[in-house]
Amino acid sequence: MIEITPLAVSAADLVVGTAPVSGHDVRLSLAPAAARYSLRARDPATLAGVIGRALPTRIGDMQGGIACLGPDEYYALLPAGERVPDGAGLPVSVVDVSDRALGFVVEGTGAAAAIATGCPLDLDRFAVGRATRTLFETVEIILLREDTTRFRIEVWRSFAPWLWHALVAAIADR
Amino acid sequence: MSGYRLPAGGRIDRSRAIAFTFDRRGYRGFEGDSLASALVASGVTLFGRSFKYHRPRGLLAAGVEEPNALVTVTRGTGRTTPNLRAPSVPLHGGLVAESQNRYPSLGFDLGAINDRLGAFFPAGFYNKTFMWPRSAWEKLYEPAIRRMAGLGESPTTRDADHYAATYAHCETLVVGGGPAGIDAALTAAEAGGRVILIDEGEEVGGGALADPGQWAWLADALARLAAMPNVRILSRTTAFGFYHQNFIGAVERLTDHLAPTDANGARERLWRIRAGEVVLAQGAIERPLVFDGNDIPGVMLAGAARTLALRYGVAVGRRVVVMAVHDSGWRDALALAEAGVVIAAIVDLRETVDAALLAAAKAAGIACHLGHAVTGVAGRKAVSGATIAPGGTGAAQRIACDALLMAGGWTPSVHLWSQARGPLRWDDSWGAYLPDKSIERVRCVGACSGDWDFGGGVAVAALPSAKPAHQQKAFVDYQNDVKSRDIELAVREGYRSIEHIKRYTTNGMATDQGKTSNLNGLRIASEALARPVTEVGLTTFRPPYTPQTFGALIGHHKDALFQPLRKTAIDDWAATNGAVFENVAQWRRARYFPQGGEDMHAAVARECRAVRDGVGMFDASTLGKIEVVGPDAAEFLNRMYTNPWKSLQPGRCRYGLLLREDGFITDDGVAGRMAEDRFHVTTTTGGAARVLAMMEDYLQTEWSDLDVWLTSTTEHWGVIAVQGPRARDVIAPLVEGIDLSPDAFPHMAVREGRICGAPTRLFRVSFTGELGFEINVPADDARMVWQAVHAAGQRFGITPYGTETMHVLRAEKGFIIVGQDTDGTVTPGDAGMDWAVGKKKPDFVGKRSMMRPDIVASGRKQLVGLLTEDPDEVLEEGAQIVADPNQPVPMTMLGHVTSSYWSATLGRSIALALVRDGRARTGETLHVPMPGKTIRAVVGPTVFYDAEGSRLND
Repeated sequence: MIEITPLAVSAADLVVGTAPVSGHDVRLSLAPAAARYSLRARDPATLAGVIGRALPTRIGDMQGGIACLGPDEYYALLPAGERVPDGAGLPVSVVDVSDRALGFVVEGTGAAAAIATGCPLDLDRFAVGRATRTLFETVEIILLREDTTRFRIEVWRSFAPWLWHALVAAIADR
Repeated sequence: MSGYRLPAGGRIDRSRAIAFTFDRRGYRGFEGDSLASALVASGVTLFGRSFKYHRPRGLLAAGVEEPNALVTVTRGTGRTTPNLRAPSVPLHGGLVAESQNRYPSLGFDLGAINDRLGAFFPAGFYNKTFMWPRSAWEKLYEPAIRRMAGLGESPTTRDADHYAATYAHCETLVVGGGPAGIDAALTAAEAGGRVILIDEGEEVGGGALADPGQWAWLADALARLAAMPNVRILSRTTAFGFYHQNFIGAVERLTDHLAPTDANGARERLWRIRAGEVVLAQGAIERPLVFDGNDIPGVMLAGAARTLALRYGVAVGRRVVVMAVHDSGWRDALALAEAGVVIAAIVDLRETVDAALLAAAKAAGIACHLGHAVTGVAGRKAVSGATIAPGGTGAAQRIACDALLMAGGWTPSVHLWSQARGPLRWDDSWGAYLPDKSIERVRCVGACSGDWDFGGGVAVAALPSAKPAHQQKAFVDYQNDVKSRDIELAVREGYRSIEHIKRYTTNGMATDQGKTSNLNGLRIASEALARPVTEVGLTTFRPPYTPQTFGALIGHHKDALFQPLRKTAIDDWAATNGAVFENVAQWRRARYFPQGGEDMHAAVARECRAVRDGVGMFDASTLGKIEVVGPDAAEFLNRMYTNPWKSLQPGRCRYGLLLREDGFITDDGVAGRMAEDRFHVTTTTGGAARVLAMMEDYLQTEWSDLDVWLTSTTEHWGVIAVQGPRARDVIAPLVEGIDLSPDAFPHMAVREGRICGAPTRLFRVSFTGELGFEINVPADDARMVWQAVHAAGQRFGITPYGTETMHVLRAEKGFIIVGQDTDGTVTPGDAGMDWAVGKKKPDFVGKRSMMRPDIVASGRKQLVGLLTEDPDEVLEEGAQIVADPNQPVPMTMLGHVTSSYWSATLGRSIALALVRDGRARTGETLHVPMPGKTIRAVVGPTVFYDAEGSRLND
């Protein structure tokens, strides 16, 4: 007869840590609150005009806190509370998604290896200043490389507890 | 076999003795030994019992192809691993290993009676014998067979270890760390790209480890690789699968080679490697020879004996005979003789062999019997002699020996190559399949490509013998106990394809996947069919190359991290306030809030009454939300949903019904027009991702001309539904900037303003049939607003309610739940929702399908209400419905119950059902047969409460 003891911790118990977690040359911490906007337009110039900011020109590039995620898609990470005009009536889409995601900072000389435990990107070829939508195991994230040894991960808030603990486990394994 | 430790030689460290146990008896080996080499050195001949006949079995091989010597290793509670191959188990202090498939002991096994009765257990025996009576299979035959036939026992406790995983990338991945693989890695590394070299052994080196002449080169080459920053060497790592576009799965064993007290961290790591080029250097596996008695302990592969002697310093016996059809057997014999092992004779089926080999053997004092075959083996638990005869049929003579080595030629390991869909070609000189023309970015080097010099030989199906095959115990597949006569029987019974022969005989279907048996089986089938091997086919190679642990494949996806459990911003409050939860898609949602000792029935009844009579509040944050923005937003929604959208004024809401192309309902929800070019669309909780993907699909592939964009805002907004006659009274003091009066803010309207200081999109909508609001606030503010509403509602007796109450309230109103009252085959007409279809619209997704003959035909199942004659009887959801309960079984089923609840409001049960021609049956009594009784119920409308909808508009 197979008898499996109950789990000490269940998925329902997972919460995003309030204090940073460090180990094996990696530090995982929660990024401060931010304003987040999903920006869409067929014509980048129109969008740039609406928001009054320059846009990166190449998919995967970041400029002034705005990442180009696709041919008509940008993701703005701005200081908390900052507002972006909505471009009513113009062929653009500006949507406030500030509360949709949480930001994690993964930094240290082991940061890339920690992220590679669950992210299929070739991080050796993911230069500083690049940003892309990708996966960590089964969870969708936006990964931004802010420096050689510092990454930011944007994750939808209900997936954040799982991702936090998956990263903690990955850091512990190395 | 009476093996012993040679006085010198091998790569073991004789200064470091290691104590371990096998079947609870203590042994000693040396640092660098495998479990197999240490046991052979201690004189052990018996390693296990065979799968079906429980025959005594010894060691056959020196690598992962080992079919017989399977052991269970226990490293503490929850750390038991069955079916490990003894040659691949590294020795460590305190190792605890046990043999398998024997009772009560390895030496005396009651199951061995099967061997005496072997004539009654031919191939296909189980299929033929245990078919009838059918009911006995599950209860009697299958458990009994499982007990008798089997490998190690599955662990029954939670795996105490944890497992890591990672992705990796390289320009060149080399699989196999023998000389060819090391050369390829060096060449690739010198070119500058990232190189990963994978080797499954304890030590990297492959065949070179059993060749002292190469040790200096090996040490130098490995040192050079280790010094290069662009090279990663993964030893103790098995590349188990080759997937699309040079994606390789590999498992690195991190701690099993250590004593449990020294083992820290993850036990294994799964490597998911994407490589620019894959170089396969998997080597080759020696083939056994098929003859009577070829499984008696002490009969083993010649190459394995060489490895034992030269790598581990272990002689397999004191008097060794070699049975060869291949030059490699002679080379191995000479190497063994040089290492100090007594070779009594070399027997070769060939009439002539290379003169140099013959001369060398004679010079070493070895008797040579050309043109002879072994026809019998003496001994049961250990070899005591071999009978040989000229041509297998001439005058027999017996040679005393305690080990008999087989050299049947070599089979290149094309496993990963074949998984990569690499083509194969038959090669007569190898008597095996070799990689054919190259495929993109994958190549084979060394023995697995056929580029290796093992010498020459002949390939034979079975050794010739005067004894007919059906009287021989000549094994082809050791691990699954398949004999040559089983394959011949399969052919006699009409099997022609090797795939069928494999399944009928189980040849090649054991945990070793036929690494030593496939080619011999193929050749025997080919001879029995009198057709060339290439016409008999070749079985497919599939991952994994060797068995891998579930733990490694699962990695961190277990226990609390099994999969994400999504929780809302209000979930904590619900947990603190005693909610009972249920999972909906990946979300967990509060199902009800029991108070005191309430059960679900009582809690839901109380919550329902509170909403109908006063006010309730509900966390609706999990609803899917999509912001549809752009000049063509209304046009886009008009094309997606069945309803008309263009006329909807900003500030107003509409219920939308979404069909698939086939005209069946796939989702629904309310959308609010926030501005001329901006909609706030909601979807079902479970449909959120699917609906967004479907919309994106149409937008990108069908209507790329539309200026409209979709953004998921599900997680941006927390949603608090406040429902009931007092809903307005509760929120009024909290809301700023919105006129809540019924005239200014009617049902199905949306306003923007502030609540408790937070920005809100306030919807006046209702899924309960009562006056209701859905407060959308940024998720960070949701908990604060929830608590403020809860506090403000206290004087009205505000009652938090869960999904169960929500379900009852909506069912009382006949509101459908997509996926519960619909099943993917329900049209708007079937659901009685023609009112939601814009008849004048030129097109929408699914419109054309609504004119299909089977959609307009009569006799479709329609959604109706059902009221049981006994008001206290609550129907089972899913129960079948018939017109006449007295029909013979199988009855004509008219439909089934989709939703059924106790309605506290109505003081009786209610149900919704999909019934054939349901609406035409209004007033008819139908029957729901249940175990022990039949329930009578009357068909009626789907709306049970406030049919006029007067309560919505208060």
